[in-house]
Amino acid sequence: MNEVANVAPQAKTIMEARGITKRFQGLVSVDKVSFSLAENEILGLIGPNGAGKTTLVNMIGGTLKPNEGDLLFEGERINDVSPYRRAHLGIARTFQIMKPFPGMSVLENVAVGALFGRDGGEKSMAKAREIAREWITFTGLGQRMDAHADALGGPDRKRLEFAKALAMGPKLLLLDEVMAGLNHVEVDEMVELIKKIRARGVTLLVIEHVIKAIRSLSDRVMVLHHGERIAEGDPALVLADPRVVEAYLGKRRT
Amino acid sequence: MVLAQILLNGILLGGLYGLMALGMALVWGVLNIVNLAHGALIMLGGYVVYYIFVFTGLDPFAAIAVAMVIMFGVGFLLQYGLLNLIVRSALLNTLLITFGLDVVITYLAQFLFTADFRTINPSYAGANFSAFGLTVPGIRFAAFVVAIALAAALWWLLNRRPLGLAIRATSQNLVAARLYGVDPRILYAVTFGIGTALAGAAGGLYGMIANLTPYIGASLTAKSFVIAIIGGLTNPFNVILGGIVVGIAESLATLYFGATYSDVVSFGLLVLVLVVRPTRTLRAA
Amino acid sequence: MMGRWPLVLAVLVAIVLAGVPWFGNDVAVQFGINALLLATLAQSWNILGGFTGYVSFGNSVFYGLGTYGTAVAMTHFNLPFGVGLVVGAVVAMLCAALVGIPILRLRGPYFAIATLGLNGAMAAIVSNLPIAGSNIGLVLPLMRGDAIFYELALALLVVCTLTVLWISSSRYGMALVAIREDEDAAGSMGVNATLYKVTALVLSALFTAIAGGIHAYWSTFVDPASAFDTTLNVRMVIMCVFGGPGTVFGPVVGSFILSAVYEVLASEISTAAVLFFGLVIVLAVVFTPKGLTDLMAGARRSGWRYLFRNIRENRL
Repeated sequence: MNEVANVAPQAKTIMEARGITKRFQGLVSVDKVSFSLAENEILGLIGPNGAGKTTLVNMIGGTLKPNEGDLLFEGERINDVSPYRRAHLGIARTFQIMKPFPGMSVLENVAVGALFGRDGGEKSMAKAREIAREWITFTGLGQRMDAHADALGGPDRKRLEFAKALAMGPKLLLLDEVMAGLNHVEVDEMVELIKKIRARGVTLLVIEHVIKAIRSLSDRVMVLHHGERIAEGDPALVLADPRVVEAYLGKRRT
Repeated sequence: MVLAQILLNGILLGGLYGLMALGMALVWGVLNIVNLAHGALIMLGGYVVYYIFVFTGLDPFAAIAVAMVIMFGVGFLLQYGLLNLIVRSALLNTLLITFGLDVVITYLAQFLFTADFRTINPSYAGANFSAFGLTVPGIRFAAFVVAIALAAALWWLLNRRPLGLAIRATSQNLVAARLYGVDPRILYAVTFGIGTALAGAAGGLYGMIANLTPYIGASLTAKSFVIAIIGGLTNPFNVILGGIVVGIAESLATLYFGATYSDVVSFGLLVLVLVVRPTRTLRAA
Repeated sequence: MMGRWPLVLAVLVAIVLAGVPWFGNDVAVQFGINALLLATLAQSWNILGGFTGYVSFGNSVFYGLGTYGTAVAMTHFNLPFGVGLVVGAVVAMLCAALVGIPILRLRGPYFAIATLGLNGAMAAIVSNLPIAGSNIGLVLPLMRGDAIFYELALALLVVCTLTVLWISSSRYGMALVAIREDEDAAGSMGVNATLYKVTALVLSALFTAIAGGIHAYWSTFVDPASAFDTTLNVRMVIMCVFGGPGTVFGPVVGSFILSAVYEVLASEISTAAVLFFGLVIVLAVVFTPKGLTDLMAGARRSGWRYLFRNIRENRL
């Protein structure tokens, strides 16, 4: 395992994984992966399909439990903390297969985030709606405030996923392939959006296949291959690493 | 010795229970319909066998074969004419419509057959034989054999016949069924028909062992459901095994707590199974 | 969401209904008691089934516990009716909380059948309890005065509907609906699904049990068969679903309509009313799978074709 290129030493660690492993019926999906996230950092997570990226996010979000290793959030072990309590701690996520509440309006969808997110959420409905409106405008969905969630098209659904997660007031936001299926213009808009989110003090873990976006967003990049971390560090260096090219980029070209 | 006899009774009864659940598991696994009218169809099958036996004097076991043909037709028509209209509807709706059917069938049974207890009572009903010092009631033993034979027949149909392959393909996805050149609407109706025929056979055997009334449906539905979950939805022999587990548990409970608690046992087993291994059973659905 | 006029209309209807004992005859009042209690059951079912989407076929358990709680308190301990109601409600709520925690982990048909089994189990247990009169039942002290029972039933329905009205516009209700729409996503957004599901079941049990208690004292007799009657359960479900699950007034309107039709049929063709009920369920599922509320909206847009569009959407 290569040396970890640590970020600036004064930055506080918000989340840490220590050798976490996940097995499904004997198949190792994530294999002794360790990494840490500094406050307000953007860590890009890449790797070929089936490398274990989503499994990793599911373990951080709490829908899966690691078989081995420890997950720490703000210094506390969270292995056994249920998903909703992780949301209260300040961890929010988007889903690769997007999960809007189909029978609710955009505003109600996002209000759920405000009502139940960090620290248990906002108790007043009026305030929650206000917060929801803010984030809906922030993500560029202002025109569709009262539309039904299942009436939204692809890119708008992704914005909705963002708005829902952001309304939770997260400290750490996990983004699972939010750019898949978007065209160039939409990818650029999404990159700008993520930068704006970071400017608000949020820490981000970004899973992405769109290398251009990863390159322009990430402070650091981590590469998973067959569940193992094969490289980590400065985006330019990592993306030029022959092993990464072989495992990931090379595979893409064939 | 008492315990061994109880176990034997449980196993024999369990074979019949497994047969009851066979049709429900088939319909659930392939059509994704949890048929709450399944118990009512068992009851209906019981009456069909009863009336064939009473009016024609046909041997009950032969009457069961006839009843299975009739019940196949009933099931085919129900699925083709009604349930096919709603199979893609929300789960609540399939539960509700089959519950509605349960109410309708129960009422019609009460109207046509009256609420009097009926038993299918051939001349040899009381015959017993002994083996290894245990008393084996003849009818129950025969019912057990029929149950195993029907499970084997279903297994053979599903795994060795083109129709069975088409049915199993349908349970994976609908498009696959079209590849076999079968209209899925017909295939669904045939599958439901087979499930109903099996329910009919179970009803006939039930009528030789216990009393038939129009009201037995609901508890038989619940029992079938428990067994389908314990046994899984794919392998007929596992369903029979599931039935034997429930049969033994009920016989033991009757010994230790009394007969009125047999429903409590089914429910306890159900919750236990569901809560202890929810992921596995959920994936089966 | 909801305009003002349904609320105004509802208040007017409630006032008119409150006056029925003064200008209606005995038959109307007795029909009214049954209809109001059934509407309460449908509305209680709505709290869990309509808002969280968990289909319970076991609410009759809470009804039964309510009737028995009240009956046992009044006959064995000579407690007043009001205390009896509280006893029944508390027992039902405790049962809901204890049973709810394990079985609300189950989803879809698993939950539905578990509740169905629960009803059978509870009936068996109660019919073996000497204190509950075993399988014979209990006779309660006689109290004349249908008007009082009528007003009680109406008050219960009003309180229950107000509760649902509050749910529909509250943070609590948002959690329930989020669970219905997508439980996993709701969990990831911070909704403690177990807490909300169990409290919804407990609330549902509360109103169901009180309705049971009122019915027990009114009819002066309880027995296991009528207290733990699964067809009663189907009735609450179909009345709620027919009217519009997850809405405030749908379940009430749905159950009033069905009660009235049922009553007419029962007087015309007596026993076949049950058959009719089963047929209504079947037809309602085929033609109006989303309830009256959706039917009204859909019919305004596309008329009769609405009914057949539903079939087209759901058939094979």
